[in-house]
Amino acid sequence: MRRRGSVARERAAFGVIRGLSLLTIAILALIMGFILYKGFRFSNEVRGTVLPYAERSPDGLALVVGGGIDLDSLDFPVLYGMYTDEYINWAKISADDFDLLPIAIDPAKPDGSATAKLLFGESADPQWGGLVKTVPDAAAALALLRSTPGAAAILPVDALRASTDTKELRVVPIRRLMLAANEDVVALVDNRSIEDLDDAALARLMGGAVKNWKELGGPDLTVKILSPPAGSTLAAAVASGRPLSAAKASIAPPSMAAYETALSGTSGAVGYSLAADAQAAGLAPLTLKTVESGWNLTWKYLVEAPRLSGKVGGISTIILNTLLMLALTILIAAPIGVAAAVYLIEYAKQGPLIRVLRLGTETLAGIPSIIFGLFGFLFFVNILHFGFGLLSGCLTLTLMILPTIVRTSEEALKAVPRSLREGSLALGATKLQTVLRVTIPAAAPGILTGLILGVGRAVGETAALLFTMGSDYKLAKGLFSSARVLSSHVYLLFAEGISFDRAFSTATVLILVVLVFNFAARRLVGRMGGVK
Amino acid sequence: MESTGAKFDVTKLDLWYGQTQALNQVSMKIEANSITALIGPSGCGKSTFLRVLDRMNDLIDGVRVEGTVLYDGADIFGSADVIDLRKRIGMVFQKPNPFPMSVFDNVAYGPRVHGLHARTAAEKRHLSELVEKSLVNAALFDEVKDRLHKSALGLSGGQQQRLCIARVLAVEPDVLLMDEPTSALDPISTAKIEALLDELKVRYTIVIVTHNMQQAGRVSDSTGFFLHGELVEYAPTKEIFFNPRDKRTENYISGRFG
Repeated sequence: MRRRGSVARERAAFGVIRGLSLLTIAILALIMGFILYKGFRFSNEVRGTVLPYAERSPDGLALVVGGGIDLDSLDFPVLYGMYTDEYINWAKISADDFDLLPIAIDPAKPDGSATAKLLFGESADPQWGGLVKTVPDAAAALALLRSTPGAAAILPVDALRASTDTKELRVVPIRRLMLAANEDVVALVDNRSIEDLDDAALARLMGGAVKNWKELGGPDLTVKILSPPAGSTLAAAVASGRPLSAAKASIAPPSMAAYETALSGTSGAVGYSLAADAQAAGLAPLTLKTVESGWNLTWKYLVEAPRLSGKVGGISTIILNTLLMLALTILIAAPIGVAAAVYLIEYAKQGPLIRVLRLGTETLAGIPSIIFGLFGFLFFVNILHFGFGLLSGCLTLTLMILPTIVRTSEEALKAVPRSLREGSLALGATKLQTVLRVTIPAAAPGILTGLILGVGRAVGETAALLFTMGSDYKLAKGLFSSARVLSSHVYLLFAEGISFDRAFSTATVLILVVLVFNFAARRLVGRMGGVK
Repeated sequence: MESTGAKFDVTKLDLWYGQTQALNQVSMKIEANSITALIGPSGCGKSTFLRVLDRMNDLIDGVRVEGTVLYDGADIFGSADVIDLRKRIGMVFQKPNPFPMSVFDNVAYGPRVHGLHARTAAEKRHLSELVEKSLVNAALFDEVKDRLHKSALGLSGGQQQRLCIARVLAVEPDVLLMDEPTSALDPISTAKIEALLDELKVRYTIVIVTHNMQQAGRVSDSTGFFLHGELVEYAPTKEIFFNPRDKRTENYISGRFG
């Protein structure tokens, strides 16, 4: 009976232990999986007002850019911003590093008035930006496009077709259809307002499945769908975007003017609109949300240099800076750390002084890195005048990881059997020969483990580096050149809200760097052990 | 025993580990080209005595030695160079202690630390001949010739111990000190090493510490019996085993204690 009880206890204890270890593994897998997934794939909700349907030649016009601009399509609000001085370069539009030169044909000319209509609708007071360069005709615009890398022009499609040389140019389709609703629909009532519409909600709304705005979180109003007047630009645009034309209209105004009046005057009304017209008529756009996803960590991201604080470009220089930093840090820290450990174990008389030294080393190992950062900032950067740069950073890191290296090397040396040392000495080897040829090689796997731990700490260090190594994301030009490394890049991308996706893909690269280092070191240890 | 052929001449040797006296007034002459066995119960001082002969006790803190030890007529504690002393007096330890490197490098270790650098082709050939000769003399060459450049840690215990002997032979010493060289080995490996000792005797003076009385009887020419740090009896092996003069020796040999 008693025996059976103890067996049951054993079994229960085993179950608990196994459960806990499985839980640990599960947590680890979750963390790694999450970071790696976010690193490789991005998936974001994007909110906007335009529908996901792009027109190559809205109103017979086309947006033409130079071939150097990396752009597949463009939302109308951005196009509007380009011609109203909201954007001055391509960085925020296509991540290209050119100044923006928006070109338009003189509005006084017939081709020009179409451009004005595309951008500003029927508005009486077009807000042309000061950057916009007006040209007399399409030929002049094309000539300017070819000579200026960051130029963009709105041209009649016919003029473009007539041109003989359009190889270097690219036509960018525009998304300008949106859903406009009556003001009552988007109003805040009882602290509630209509939710952002995703694809499913949009299909239900325009398919006629939604009878009351309440169903979408809006006010208690009946949904009234307007259909655009036949023959209008709007109707043509809606018709060409086939998936969107399934709208079941309940009201069909005869003209564009009546359509707009109906939209702004009928409570609960909703209908398609061209962004420019809606803006001119002061109609309220419904906010749409779509999920964008794709590859986050791409080859391009690894090999391109970062630009604009890392918002665009890649992280190649940052990876190189990280490797430089690691190489320099190991170069400084390894000889000092191993020499100190050898002295402490092999040569020093074990007395109170050594005990104090050892206690100091252990204490140093536990000090938060930010304190090393403060020290490095004051001592290396200011007092020694090294400035923000590789050298200051690496010296600070060296101080930080030395205790780890010394302690693990000490343990590794201690673990070398006395018999090996005696064997060497009995052969007539000197103490130094014994240390260099027998003791250190025998302790090499342990010493290397210490170095890996140190490297792991160094590569993950942010706080100590921001104050000593600086955060210039260009490739370090020398020992005194400020340099950003992967960990501080992750921190800055995150802290300055530059890009979470990029922070995650950089973090993934960081993890991969650590993995590669561990793997390489293990291989090295295996080879040093010499067995087989 | 005539004193002229003595390799070691130890007179009134006292040794303390801190406050503990480990050797007490030990006097002993060890003949050249003979095998001398040191026997006695654990802690009797026989290993300590052996380690005095090549000054391995220098490595232990708090060891104090009094008395004289003459090696080829010269005092080993005097002006003698300890490195040179250890080069001429090789030591094999109780547990095989091959270095964590290849078989070849283990044997070549001694010559290398003594300045034999295999830089030229001639030097390389000389070194590999020396390694081969040492392995042959340690009766190990045939077993390891195909794996000279693999780790020595992969050898069996008996092979490792013969490797350690080869490693000592490669330094071309004069004396071999062996501290219970077969106590960690199986009977077959032990037999191999005992056979080896008999061959080595021709060229070397051998002092062997052993717990195994049969071994002492089989291999040695003379035997010294240690007890509580004193050399109780030292005589040709046959006399010690068949006609011990001291009662304590007789008790030990007949197995009444120890």
